[in-house]
Amino acid sequence: MTQPVSQSPDDSTLVRVRGLTTVLNGKTIFDALDLDIPRGKVTAIMGPSGTGKTTLLKHITGQMRADAGEILVNGENVAGMSREQLYKMREGIGYLFQNSALLTDFDVFENVAFPLRQHTQLPEVLIRNLVLLKLQAVGLRGAARLMPNELSGGMARRVALARAIVFDPMLILYDEPFVGLDPVALNQVLKLIRTLNQTLGITSVLVAHELEAVKQVADHVFLIANGKVVAQGDPKTIASDGSPWTRQFFGGEADGPVPFQYPAGDLAQALGFAGAAK
Amino acid sequence: MNVREPQRNNVVTQSLAQIGACGLFLLTLLAAIPRSFRYVRETIRQLWFVGAMSLTIIMVCGLFVGMVLMLQLYHVLSIFGGTSASGMVVALSVYRELGPVVTALLFAGRAGTSITAEIGLMRATDQIDAMEMMAVDPIAYVATPRFLAGLIAMPLLCCVFCAMAIFGGHLVGVTWLGIDNGTFWSNMTAVVDVHTDIVNGVLFKSLAFGAVVSLIAVFQGFTTPPTSEGVAYATTRTVVASSIAILALDFVLTAFLM
Repeated sequence: MTQPVSQSPDDSTLVRVRGLTTVLNGKTIFDALDLDIPRGKVTAIMGPSGTGKTTLLKHITGQMRADAGEILVNGENVAGMSREQLYKMREGIGYLFQNSALLTDFDVFENVAFPLRQHTQLPEVLIRNLVLLKLQAVGLRGAARLMPNELSGGMARRVALARAIVFDPMLILYDEPFVGLDPVALNQVLKLIRTLNQTLGITSVLVAHELEAVKQVADHVFLIANGKVVAQGDPKTIASDGSPWTRQFFGGEADGPVPFQYPAGDLAQALGFAGAAK
Repeated sequence: MNVREPQRNNVVTQSLAQIGACGLFLLTLLAAIPRSFRYVRETIRQLWFVGAMSLTIIMVCGLFVGMVLMLQLYHVLSIFGGTSASGMVVALSVYRELGPVVTALLFAGRAGTSITAEIGLMRATDQIDAMEMMAVDPIAYVATPRFLAGLIAMPLLCCVFCAMAIFGGHLVGVTWLGIDNGTFWSNMTAVVDVHTDIVNGVLFKSLAFGAVVSLIAVFQGFTTPPTSEGVAYATTRTVVASSIAILALDFVLTAFLM
């Protein structure tokens, strides 16, 4: 159930999660999860597949409602927001989707200009300049007139990043930003995340599986499993904290606290061997 | 799981749930119409896509429907020596039934499926979620313009279909089979009533069919599971549900309007 929390988190915390409980299709995704995302830092959320990392991002943005608990973004409770309030809050949040989610009807320029056209009455020349500056920041000003289907995966992700930062948001959420990238594209994205964090002071939350990449960019790591934070700390040292969770996850062990077998009944009984049920 | 299983397998329950969800979706859609006024350009773009791009199939099918209808009627009516009434019967059949119904069925196949597939793929590729995250209401930006475009396009397409069918009937009846041109037009104009046949038959029915087909297409697109298989099923459901709804609604409307 909902736990009482302070309605005015201290200034160093941008996102405060308390007692978050989510049950989807009978499966408990979060079981009274607590975590704080520090302001102005890069925070990584890691954990086994299906543990609810993307769901957590959706809770933070109000795309999904939790069964219980509270999420405060910049001191405001997301769960209690109306649609208009949610939309207002989202104007201050950038979200980088795993598959970039570029609008396929528009070219690169129009994709980045889309939020500006929807929410501002800026003159065309200003929109053009802003978009070109954002594309320059991600190194794709020359690709402004390409269509999304003409972009590589890494380029598409950088365009999506340009779109996410077009309003200079206070918070950027990256959903698996390193998946499927070659080493060059991976380093480009890593550099961009770090640069955006340092130059614009944007708070960043990234969901990722790649510890080496996370080590290069994140200030703090949360390891989530079984609906709770099972480990947290500095990304350079968390792998050696000795807990069975970190040992299995960062050591890549097939079996451990996260079982290899999906919960199932007795194998002999399932195969119909006589007397197996006894 | 044991409790839900019978519900999933119950076709009646599932169908009623779908109809209920579709009704709620319609309310959401209607509520979003004022917000969608700022996306007039998107509505015009959709009008071009579902309306203008459907013109070829509507014109060709209208032409052949008129031609076949005249051919059949001529041979039947010639038994009774009533071939001069062929033009009149073609016009009444087309205005009252064939025009709106066949246009709606063609519209469901041509535009309805593409609307469903487009929205379904937008969902599968997170474009709808991306709009939500950019604080753009996808109902107002994606759904309502397509719904309104279908609503506006259908009566216009129906008018084109009817004109082409009459032209096809004239081509076969007058040019080929030798019915007198004056008789063809005078019988038609003497019998066709603007209110009963054109307003109720063509405009009112096609408006209703346009609303139903567009609603089903948009609803299926928005509720499809975001997978390739889900999109395939959704497009099929759009055609099946639209066809059934068109024919059932046609009976109800005809019963009330006659």
